Amino acid sequence: MFPWVYGFEWNAGTVIFLGLFFTVVIVILTTVTVAVVRSLRAFAQRKHHAVGWEAQFEDLGREARPCRHQLAGETDQRYCRHGFECKDCDFHRKMLDVAEGEAGDAPDRYFHRGHAWVRPETDGTVTIGIDDFGAKVVGPRARAKLPRIGRRIHENGTGWRFLLGDDSVRVLAPVTGEVVAHGGRDEGWYLRVKPLDGPFDLGHLLQGPEVRPWMEHEMARLLRLIPKDCHSDLTRDGRMVDDVTAHCSGLDWDVVCAEILLEP
Amino acid sequence: MSGPKETPQGASRYGMVIDLDRCNGCGACMVACAVENNVAPAPQRANDRNGITLLRVFPMRNGRDYPESRQVFVPMTCQQCDAPPCESVCPQHAVEFDWTTGIVAQIPVRCLGCRYCMVACPYHARAFNWWDPEWPEGMESTLNPDISTRSRGVAEKCNFCHHRRQVARERAAHEGREVREDEYQPACVEACPVGAIVFGDLNDPDSAVAKVYEAPDAFAFLDKLGTKPKIRYRSRQEWVHAMARQGVPEKEVTRG
Amino acid sequence: MDRSIIPRGLERAPLGKFLLWLLPWVLLLGFGLYSAYLCLRYGLHQTNMDNRFAFGAWIFLDLTVIALGAGAFFTGFLLYILKRRELKAVINSAVVIGFICYSGAVVVLMVDVGQPLRAWFTFWHPNVHSMLTEVTFCITCYLTVLAIEYLPILLKNRKLRQIPAFLVFEFNLHKVMYVLAGVGTFLSFFHQGSLGGLYGVLNGRPFVFREAFGIWPTTFFLFIISAAAAGPSFMLLTTWIASKVSGKRLVTHYVYESLGRISGYILSGYVLLKTADTLFWIRDTAPSLGVHPASFFANQPGYTALHLLEVALFGFLPMAIFLTKRLRARLGWLVTAATLTCLGIVVNRYVLTIQTLALPTLPFAEVLSYVPSWQETGTFLMVIAYGMLVYSISFRYSNLFPQERELRQG
Repeated sequence: MFPWVYGFEWNAGTVIFLGLFFTVVIVILTTVTVAVVRSLRAFAQRKHHAVGWEAQFEDLGREARPCRHQLAGETDQRYCRHGFECKDCDFHRKMLDVAEGEAGDAPDRYFHRGHAWVRPETDGTVTIGIDDFGAKVVGPRARAKLPRIGRRIHENGTGWRFLLGDDSVRVLAPVTGEVVAHGGRDEGWYLRVKPLDGPFDLGHLLQGPEVRPWMEHEMARLLRLIPKDCHSDLTRDGRMVDDVTAHCSGLDWDVVCAEILLEP
Repeated sequence: MSGPKETPQGASRYGMVIDLDRCNGCGACMVACAVENNVAPAPQRANDRNGITLLRVFPMRNGRDYPESRQVFVPMTCQQCDAPPCESVCPQHAVEFDWTTGIVAQIPVRCLGCRYCMVACPYHARAFNWWDPEWPEGMESTLNPDISTRSRGVAEKCNFCHHRRQVARERAAHEGREVREDEYQPACVEACPVGAIVFGDLNDPDSAVAKVYEAPDAFAFLDKLGTKPKIRYRSRQEWVHAMARQGVPEKEVTRG
Repeated sequence: MDRSIIPRGLERAPLGKFLLWLLPWVLLLGFGLYSAYLCLRYGLHQTNMDNRFAFGAWIFLDLTVIALGAGAFFTGFLLYILKRRELKAVINSAVVIGFICYSGAVVVLMVDVGQPLRAWFTFWHPNVHSMLTEVTFCITCYLTVLAIEYLPILLKNRKLRQIPAFLVFEFNLHKVMYVLAGVGTFLSFFHQGSLGGLYGVLNGRPFVFREAFGIWPTTFFLFIISAAAAGPSFMLLTTWIASKVSGKRLVTHYVYESLGRISGYILSGYVLLKTADTLFWIRDTAPSLGVHPASFFANQPGYTALHLLEVALFGFLPMAIFLTKRLRARLGWLVTAATLTCLGIVVNRYVLTIQTLALPTLPFAEVLSYVPSWQETGTFLMVIAYGMLVYSISFRYSNLFPQERELRQG
């Protein structure tokens, strides 16, 4: 195998054969090494939440990731390919240029497409909660496991988890920051988060006119998950029931929540 | 790798001629071969298909009915090919062609036991150690000290009693002379009661084997395969030549 | 507990039922392990191989299994290199099957050789002119590649992916997977080829010897093509079987059709080349080795029949089915054709391994036959059981068929 091994001969056959063999070995090793090094680097640069999100994002169905400009009626059907990071998206930049000058007042609530809402507070922190639609899908039976005060959450990483029996589903964190306070079931499960460096960038979150079409989009998505004969049970007095999955037998809490909260 | 590398000056090229018209099928050569080469006694469950026969005498019949029926005995062993098909197929150089003697050597300690060489050999001349070799109590003392025993799981074959050449060379070197032809003869040659086997150096024009090697009634088995065997057979019977030329018999016998 | 490992949105049988399904395979595996132990502990006389049948059922079945496992490399090649996107639906399953086939073959080979502990000699002192050296190097490298390709499927399991390190590594591995698919194609290509070359180079065996292109006999190329044809067929068949056993729709009909069409195209090339090769062997190769080709078949009507079967029934017929649009639209026909194609591979590998050794080369030797011993059979059944276990467990806990979830939701 090596020139110093007994019986080794330098001839064309040996050189070609072992040359190919070592090339293959090097390519395999390099490929695996590249994957390992990139992974280590992601951790070193604290990008592993972002990379993890990117990995999950690819597994989401297209319907689960509508473009905000489609929701706002500014374009035809379009799916996000940037993990909802609008600042990385050329299309978004182009659309902003078109809409320049139309910027209205800053809204008081922003929405992540994983059904977390964000409310900027006057002291520079934000409050994060799960929106009504999300809360009704998860239902009041579920218990939240909130991060301890002082822990950090990472944008598109896990904000917190809802647990029901053996099942658990996570709520995507809409921003990066440190948890300074949180509220339990009675206060409607919220986190108070302080920014790490500089003020929060909320540009990737839905706001204003985008929100309503998005909710309609999500409602349609939910209905597709639910058997037709159950649809009528979902509303009472024109309002959605509080615990969607409890109102329909054979509906898996885990599956429905994961689909709506974007956990593949 | 076969193909003429540097063939040293004065190299030998050992070969053999077996006279089929003389062979009476007594099998003394087989016994001598097994004893000489430390072949362990076959276990109870062994048969003629999985035993170790480095040399085996086959009957060859012309396939006709009396009174035309004819038969010869063919002592078949490794043909010591000049282009050995078993050598190029071995994945790890456990088969070596010795350019100083022309002998194809099997090196048991290098052998993996994949048996590809046995598949490659058209002469069915190789044997595999399907069992652990075991000698009954006391029989170890009859072992030939000049040749090692082989473990189970490796292939082996005839090597023209190569160890006898080593012994002869050592003795001759000690006495400061060349090896005489009669000093190096394989066990089968010595054992043959009718002198049907002639063995020697084909490169030596005075050797007994060189004189009969090119005889008009000498032939090799399966010579069209291009293996260039160094064992030739002799017979004055035309049907023997005809059958040797044609690889597959007219009438096949199935067994199994 | 078990439920939380099953991929989200997939419906799987209750754990008890699943364990009951595994039980016979576990028992078979135990029997196989005992058989293999006997062979390793007491020697190969536990088999019915002998000095003439130096290769037996194991080599025949290894060659078959490797050919059927070619679906792994070929699907990977079509998906990652030729960008046939629809095959994404079966790539995970293909990788698992490839991994099972290759690792199973290696295990059996380790029992098959007389001195398994000397296996490293081939690497340390390789005879680069031996086809078996090529086989050994390729199978080892490719098994490594398959193990790496299997890793993401494993890491993507619902429980494991919650560990950030696994998810990140899986993501980065997936990004470079096309390189591994390329290397895998290269290795598998040469591996399949050298398995064919193994026999084609045997000038001492006129029945299998074939003229060479460059350094490779025609069997080298025929093996590659036949494996490439059988691979997708075996994928079609296994997907269909998995679908039947689990009672789920796993892929759309388009995927079945696509696999069938690919098999059909390659099969048409194979049937043509195989026929040409056989005719050339009859006209030139065999006579030049001093053998009348008919002599091999003269008193063996079964052999002639097998050859005809291989090309006509198991080659031409499935090709015709695969390439007929109307028949391709029916899953029943696709499965029939895929079964025939896989049987064709079995027959081809059987003819090359077992028949070659059954036929004598010396005029006074006899045609031999052999029946494998129960230890031999058991050792092979071990691989079947191992394959069923690995596949069943992978199927339950990994997302082998990405379309399954969508198809379930309708």
